[in-house]
Amino acid sequence: MLFGLEDRQWIFIATVVFAITFILGTYSVLKLQRKTASVYTLGLVTFGWVLQTIGLYARGLEYGGCPLANNFELVQFTVWSAIVLYIFVGPAFRVSLLGVLTSGFAAALSILSLTFPGWDSGSREAIFGDNPWIETHAALALFSYGVFGIQALISGMYLSQSRSLKTKELGGLFRFMPSIVELLRINQRLLLIGLVILTVSLGIGRVHWADENTTVDALKLTATIAVWVAYGIIYFLRVRKVLSSKRFAWTSIAVFAIALLSLEAVSSDTPPTEPPAATSIENELR
Amino acid sequence: MSSDNSRFLLLSINHEHVPLEERESYSVNDDKLRELYRLARESAEIEESLVLSTCNRFELYAKSTADSPQNPLTKILADLHQIDCEEIESHAITEMGQEAVTHLIEVSAGLRSQITGEAEILGQVKQAYAKSQELGGAGKLINRVAQKAFQAAKQIRHNTPIGQGTINISNVAVDLSLKIFGDLNEASVLVLGTGEIGEKTAQSLMRRGAKKFGVASRSIERATAFAAPFNAKPHASDNLASYLPEYDIIIAGIGVKEAIITKDLVRKLKPDYRDNPLFLIDLGLPRNIDPKCEDFDNVYIYNLDDLAKISEDNLAERRKAISASREIALQKSSFIWQNLQKRGLI
Repeated sequence: MLFGLEDRQWIFIATVVFAITFILGTYSVLKLQRKTASVYTLGLVTFGWVLQTIGLYARGLEYGGCPLANNFELVQFTVWSAIVLYIFVGPAFRVSLLGVLTSGFAAALSILSLTFPGWDSGSREAIFGDNPWIETHAALALFSYGVFGIQALISGMYLSQSRSLKTKELGGLFRFMPSIVELLRINQRLLLIGLVILTVSLGIGRVHWADENTTVDALKLTATIAVWVAYGIIYFLRVRKVLSSKRFAWTSIAVFAIALLSLEAVSSDTPPTEPPAATSIENELR
Repeated sequence: MSSDNSRFLLLSINHEHVPLEERESYSVNDDKLRELYRLARESAEIEESLVLSTCNRFELYAKSTADSPQNPLTKILADLHQIDCEEIESHAITEMGQEAVTHLIEVSAGLRSQITGEAEILGQVKQAYAKSQELGGAGKLINRVAQKAFQAAKQIRHNTPIGQGTINISNVAVDLSLKIFGDLNEASVLVLGTGEIGEKTAQSLMRRGAKKFGVASRSIERATAFAAPFNAKPHASDNLASYLPEYDIIIAGIGVKEAIITKDLVRKLKPDYRDNPLFLIDLGLPRNIDPKCEDFDNVYIYNLDDLAKISEDNLAERRKAISASREIALQKSSFIWQNLQKRGLI
């Protein structure tokens, strides 16, 4: 509990703020046909993010570590990372409606994580032991998921813009969104950023799992490596001009969806080959 | 009508009521404008004045003296043009008080323009106001009304879609280019054919930042002559395949019997794997570009009908916004009018 509210209550209020931002922004564009000034969107999203941070901090204090022990916390941390990226890097991209869509993304995932009580399992323990590197590895991995989340959003914007231009239906969100060339460039840049962060995360993890390989669950290891390889292949194919712009966008969305599903594997309770010593790189995500 | 209302007057002869051939006799050149301001200054019944003269409207706003028996504007206009007051009255509409303020806001916001929502009118009204100040027409009332009307007009243009979407076909093509490429600095443009609409579209693209141009024509001499103002590379149109890969935007408007940009030709450009998309603007009749080229993901084709439809849709959207815009204008004029009364300016 922090400032009189439980951690989930703080996160619930943050989710409401994200949802309000998304609804207001969408209403403004579709009904009033004008874009909410980015400073208001940024203000509201930042307010929601502060509330969410308080909630996650309260949980972290309670359990004595970074709150990454179950599906609920993994999703919340991914949302938190995506919002961090929007607040601190997003303005440099100057992508109209990114704030509104990011708040929609945050609200949707957050509502999902709050809806299923089973995702927030009661039985949990201080999973990171006393190794800050393992904690860094896990936090960086999830931060990269946040980056990939924003990249998937930008991919969706690209596909929407491209479809509007093809079908010549230029109403709705079309006039408020950036050009497809800009979206494509940002998309490629975000993919590289996410890939670098995930690579660093896996590099840190690798140092530890080399010593503790018997403690790593095969499913978790496979899921994590598969996501990394998938994004690596997409980036390589795009840079080599083997993947068309449209396929690049669709593949980015599909791989992000799979990456989200892989969180289930990462947080699963499958026992490792030997009893955990609280240092396995995958085990720390339990 | 209250006596306050009759202190602020408007006489308007505009395209909504008067055809061009009659309207043109009221247009004023600089000399006549000075003369009109002189007549207004010398009139015992007028304290302040503002004249707006554009190709679509002649309007005279004025503050009358408290004891002015009737609208004095017709008389000075009759004196200026040496015509009967009755003739002016048959063409002019008159407004007074808050209604005249509402009218000025609506004109400034483009609600009463021939092309609804056009942006140039606000600049024209501002110039007219500056001229009024220069020639001693504007006083405390006109200053207050004009400045507040400009603010209201800007608010209307910002908060409603009245000025959104382009109407001119060349500009529609440019807007689409911006939606595809963002920054036109890095997009290269090929003008295929040397027709007027192609030239205008290329000029619009140039104004919005496009720098790299090519021109193709059946005659290399004509292409060279056309290319000069754009600093463009001239090409002969019969050798299209050799230089087409250099360009991202192709404006095609050449006289042909069948499409000269075919799907096979575009396939060779590998459009789906290019860094930039391919934007094909078909201004030709018969069409210059095979519509099947759009089967490629990264190719966008717009022909004359498509551009005209976007233009019509934009205009329809603007017209839809008129009613909401008028409501804002009315609210603002009511506020301005009350404020003028409080300040004792009327």
